[in-house]
Amino acid sequence: MSARVLFRPTIQYNEEAEPEMRLKVGNLFPFSQCFISHEFPQLSGKKMGDPVSDYTARLQQQEHEIQSLSAEIESLKNPQNLSSTQRLDELREENARLKYRLNILKRSLQEESARCPKSMMNINQRLQEVFGEAIRASCPELDNPPLAVTPNQQAKFGDYQCNSAMAMAQMLKAKGIKVNPREIAEKIVQNLPDNELVEKTEIAGPGFINIHLKRTFVSKLLTNLLINGVQPPPLASRKRVVVDFSSPNIAKEMHVGHLRSTIIGDSMSRLFEFLGYDVVRLNHVGDWGTQFGMLIAHLQDKFPDYLTVSPPIQDLQAFYKESKKRFDEDEDFKKRAYQCVVKLQSKEPDFIKGWNLICDVSRKEFQKVYDCLGIQIIERGESFYQEMMMEVVKELEERGLLELDEGRKLLFVPGQSIPLTVVKSDGGYTYDTSDLAALRQRIYDEKADIIIYVTDSGQGTHFQVVFAAAQLIGWYDPQVTRVEHAGFGVVLGEDKKKFKTRSGDTVRLMDLLEEGLKRSMDKLQEKERDKVLSPEELTKAQRSVAFGCVKYADLSHNRINDYVFSFDKMLDDRGNTAAYLLYAYTRIRSIARLANIDEAALRKAAETTEVLLDHDKEWKLGKCILRFPEILQKILDDLLLHTLCDYLYELATTFTEFYDSCYCVEKDRKTGEVVKVNMWRMLLCEATAAIMAQGFDILGINPVQRM
Amino acid sequence: MADCLTLFTSIGLSEQKAKETLKNDALSSVLKDAITQVHQTHGASGVDKSMGVLLYNMASRLKDTKRVAFLADSIAQRKLCTELQLTAALDFVKSHPQDPINQKAFEEACGVGVVITPEQVEDAVESVIKKHKEQLLKERYHFNMGVLMGEARSALKWADGKVIKNEVDMQVLHLLGPKTEADLEKKSKPQKSKVAENDVKVKREEEVAVNGEVSTGEVKSLMEQLRGEALKFHKAGENFKTEGYVVTPNTMALLKKHLEITGGQIRTRFPPEPNGILHIGHAKAINFNFGYAKANSGICFLRYDDTNPEKEEEKYFTAIKDMVEWLGYTPYAVTHASDNFQQLYNLAVDLIRRGHAYVCHQKGEELKGHNAPPSPWRDRPIEESLVLFERMRKGLFAEGEATLRMKMVMEDGKMDPVAYRIKYTAHHRTGDEWCIYPTYDYTHCLCDSIENITHSLCTKEFQARRSSYYWLCNALDVYCPVQWEYGRLNLTYTVVSKRKIIKLVETGVVRDWDDPRLFTLTALRRRGFPPEAINNFCARVGVTVSQTTTEPHLLESCVRDVLNDTAPRVMAVLEPLKVTITNLPESSQSDVRVPDFPANEAKGSHTVPFTRTIFIEQSDFREVLEKGYKRLTPEQPVGLRHAGFVISVQKVLKDAQGKVLELEVSCCSSDAAEKPKAFIHWVSRPLVCEVRLYERLFQHKHPEDPSEVPNGFLSDINPNSLHVISSALVDTSVKGAKVFDKFQFERVGYFSLDPDSTADKLVFNRTVTLKEDPGKI
Repeated sequence: MSARVLFRPTIQYNEEAEPEMRLKVGNLFPFSQCFISHEFPQLSGKKMGDPVSDYTARLQQQEHEIQSLSAEIESLKNPQNLSSTQRLDELREENARLKYRLNILKRSLQEESARCPKSMMNINQRLQEVFGEAIRASCPELDNPPLAVTPNQQAKFGDYQCNSAMAMAQMLKAKGIKVNPREIAEKIVQNLPDNELVEKTEIAGPGFINIHLKRTFVSKLLTNLLINGVQPPPLASRKRVVVDFSSPNIAKEMHVGHLRSTIIGDSMSRLFEFLGYDVVRLNHVGDWGTQFGMLIAHLQDKFPDYLTVSPPIQDLQAFYKESKKRFDEDEDFKKRAYQCVVKLQSKEPDFIKGWNLICDVSRKEFQKVYDCLGIQIIERGESFYQEMMMEVVKELEERGLLELDEGRKLLFVPGQSIPLTVVKSDGGYTYDTSDLAALRQRIYDEKADIIIYVTDSGQGTHFQVVFAAAQLIGWYDPQVTRVEHAGFGVVLGEDKKKFKTRSGDTVRLMDLLEEGLKRSMDKLQEKERDKVLSPEELTKAQRSVAFGCVKYADLSHNRINDYVFSFDKMLDDRGNTAAYLLYAYTRIRSIARLANIDEAALRKAAETTEVLLDHDKEWKLGKCILRFPEILQKILDDLLLHTLCDYLYELATTFTEFYDSCYCVEKDRKTGEVVKVNMWRMLLCEATAAIMAQGFDILGINPVQRM
Repeated sequence: MADCLTLFTSIGLSEQKAKETLKNDALSSVLKDAITQVHQTHGASGVDKSMGVLLYNMASRLKDTKRVAFLADSIAQRKLCTELQLTAALDFVKSHPQDPINQKAFEEACGVGVVITPEQVEDAVESVIKKHKEQLLKERYHFNMGVLMGEARSALKWADGKVIKNEVDMQVLHLLGPKTEADLEKKSKPQKSKVAENDVKVKREEEVAVNGEVSTGEVKSLMEQLRGEALKFHKAGENFKTEGYVVTPNTMALLKKHLEITGGQIRTRFPPEPNGILHIGHAKAINFNFGYAKANSGICFLRYDDTNPEKEEEKYFTAIKDMVEWLGYTPYAVTHASDNFQQLYNLAVDLIRRGHAYVCHQKGEELKGHNAPPSPWRDRPIEESLVLFERMRKGLFAEGEATLRMKMVMEDGKMDPVAYRIKYTAHHRTGDEWCIYPTYDYTHCLCDSIENITHSLCTKEFQARRSSYYWLCNALDVYCPVQWEYGRLNLTYTVVSKRKIIKLVETGVVRDWDDPRLFTLTALRRRGFPPEAINNFCARVGVTVSQTTTEPHLLESCVRDVLNDTAPRVMAVLEPLKVTITNLPESSQSDVRVPDFPANEAKGSHTVPFTRTIFIEQSDFREVLEKGYKRLTPEQPVGLRHAGFVISVQKVLKDAQGKVLELEVSCCSSDAAEKPKAFIHWVSRPLVCEVRLYERLFQHKHPEDPSEVPNGFLSDINPNSLHVISSALVDTSVKGAKVFDKFQFERVGYFSLDPDSTADKLVFNRTVTLKEDPGKI
């Protein structure tokens, strides 16, 4: 406060600004008012003009201020003067009220989380809250102390660990305070608030805090999970999410790039949906542009009665090639094609009809893929944004943001190397324009809080510029709205080269999926499952494995990297594959079935039987099950779905460890009769299966009960 | 207008009466409706005079206008033919506020269709006269004929009074013959009743003497005062009989439940805000609420209206309870509005759900003054208000950013009073549990309802909030008590508002909240006012609807009345003059017996020493005899009270300035001497004490009235309001007195022992002088 005042005399201000200044200073320091009120004695009512008198006045005024400030400093030296100012009392009062409110808010927050007892608790988050409080209490001198709590892989170091002490010591050192991190760790432990989950802590090494969870607490959470089912962690507010994915081009084939986008986008949407968000899945298809003029012109020639009789176009790809050939070779045709574009853009019904016919052919093809993969998506192609593009251009022009460059209108965004081409020299629009319009529409009309674009990483720069432009125009504030490009690497063949057919053509998606079905069936037959399963069960298993494997293979790799497409690998039932997980899942499901325990009995047991966690493997499995919410939270932040795959794989292997060393059902060796059922272990099986099922659901994989 | 006039005269009203009626809009409209209704049956000319009278009386007496058609129709159909029936009918509709009216019960209650034959009247009167025949013959026409009429009437409920009177007159005449001279002589009634009154008075005094307390008498007298207005109060469970009470479809069921809970007992409450010290005005509220309950074997709650966390301090709570108990009342239970915070919150949520309240974001400044703009959030969806109200509770708004408002217009036109506001302040009872606090408008009636209060008695200022009171209870479908307002008690020559007293204390005009010059209850106690006297005063002022401004001397006179009977006499000399009795030996000492109450020596006595040196008031001696001065002068002896001596001046000792320092006197037994013109009080071997004499604190009647005191009440302080005599002398009988013990210093006034007293030095406050005007010599 005083610093700002001390600097004040250097601020240049004129007559108009002066009264406001006076007001501010008066508010801050009531006792300086008397002096301020007669500053500028000879300036009042006098026009600026004579620089000498002007500066003299200013100088005099500054002299005055120096005097008054010295007086203030003197008076501030006497602590009695400090205690009596009204302003101070007001601030103290305000501080008391703010503290009171903070307390109320904290309690409300607790109440809020306690109110959703059905939801799963994020243990890591809860530990962060507990340790965060302890850390703040231990080191009040640090403004933003680092908070690091992570699960521990090695049981001997406890269940979780808090590693903040070292970083805090570093920060203190930077401030000139030398403290041993171990001491800080001890302080943190001492300051731990009362909580429901920490059994004990121990300090290890330079200052690691090993955290041991209470068994009763973990057991209770497992019981909750069994009773309530897998529920998402509580959601602060129901936000609206737009996921832009798949987005193939009309009249062109969907390729493996679209496959990745479709699988990843669908899984992201499922994740958001599970967590309770309001998700809009948008298919930003390429359904507008000059190529449609060419296609319509060709359509008119080939099927003159297309308006009355639906043209039997089977192979749109071939149709496209034909028209393209004519377009390149025939000047007249080219001219006509351009005329068609104009007519289409002016929405002439006959042309719109032709356009629709062509789009429909493509749509049918796309839908086949979507049906196989179980994809729900709303088609909202580039054509949807036609009018809006004009508005965007208008807005940009009005704001003077566009620069003319050889007939083009460019939008330069500071900090971005490439400008956006908003209008081409021929007056047409570009992807830049349509993406700007789409983003604007999603922010203002869809009122989205989160917008995610799932496309290949090659478009990363483009989106970066588009987002920066949108922020420049002021459409959104990144602190409030999350707009993100979730890019992914290219799909490679087993030869690590671009994924192609043997003949060098791009692989048709439907062909690929059909091959998947075939190979899945081969695998099942190889394992002689066709002898165990009914024909319906077999088909179900075939589809589940085929499509599940394609999706899982994609999702289980970090999306940012390129990935090698290999049916052999993805259908392998060992390792981190869908095949393995699907088998593991059906096996868990079969445990209860084979012990003749039905669902009702399990549900009842969940309410009456405590989940014991005395065996190491039980304890390990129990904790692993409960990590589900923190895994989802992590994905929510980085949109990397392979974390979920890794987790499910870890869960399945942890389960196997458990199952190998802990009897769930004991049977008579000879008769095969059930001798004893360890119900709490059955419950652990059940909880594992429930989490796996939910995990599959988020990945878009359909598990089967038997395979 | 002219039409109405014709209409009214058509039913037999005189033109003047009709014009008078027209001045009363409400009455004319009801009457018009009634007549129109009757016309449907009888046509425009078919209303005869007696029907007209009934219609008029019905219209002027009926409270609940929705019954006009029903009653008019009953009159038209000649179901109701007499005043008696009309009265019964009005009673019936009053006690059956809900539809539908049970026709059969109605007709039974009103005696519809009952025909009384002349023979029946004759028989009834005959049997009554037969019963009283003996006394009639003895007292002849001095017998109260009303008794006969009354009994005959009760035998024949629906008979015409006139017919009965005629029959009684005739039969009495038949029995006694015409009146004689003696019959015409007046009975000596008034004299007789006066004797009876005196009896009562004597009896009461005896009672007082025996019990040494007056409380039984006082409650009675309070209730006598209450009789006027409070007699009209409804019985428990009959709230709907009170004028203005709002009846909803649920009222009767709620009243039934209320009766089950209370068992028909009267329940009142004294609901102070615990943010200040009680003053004389509160004494009235305490007396009214506790007194009314007590007189009706009911119960009274002491409820702290502690909804405003900022103003409350623990000390106020104990002080209030102390004062209630000091006034002699014991609360049935001590409750707090804050006890109900959770329930009040739940009710608020319910109120929102019912569409009667909404969360508003108008700023405090916007709502100030008249014609505040209506809230733009008034019609927001219920769901939205529910969520926002919860957020208010959870601390998601800053203070002033949101309030909960009730959708109703108050009497004074104020729109949508606030029910809840946000305050980030701890409450002394609920701690940090809440950050939203309910307002008076919201809390008061609901707490009354929760406690099943039958009569919610409050001062006139709250009349404007009566409709909101009823509205809220009914909007929530909870039991609705009856609110009844009485005039506030205002005292002249003082201020009672908390803010002003703080000013007086801060500026050092008075010493503290209990400075005896103030009219807070603690101040009055310190000054020595007995609680009975305050209660009597409240009773005398009475509970009227009108505002009363009362002078303090009325209160003082109540104090004298009580102290006269309760404060033992002692002798004290405020400005002493030493007197040496020369004709007594140096060592002479005798004990003088002094009755505690000279008027009633049976109540005990005490002794004081009498020695050669005594002290008298300086004012009881004058060097020069003036006409009319009856006390000591060099020429005029004076008697010493209680001592049985008369003294005569022998020598006047003076200092250099001629100021009298001491007297030398001779004494003789009063039996031996000529009866002196006066007796004066004296002390011998006295205790030195401090005496504080008080006068009014303010010079003007209404120190807060700027027209009387333009410079504000602080400019109106009476400079002589406190006079301290640090070395007065008092006789030894007060030794060992306890704080607040009261005495009459003979000839000086009533005094009470101040808490400032120490073992070494007693301090006395003069409570009141002996007489209203102490100005005479």
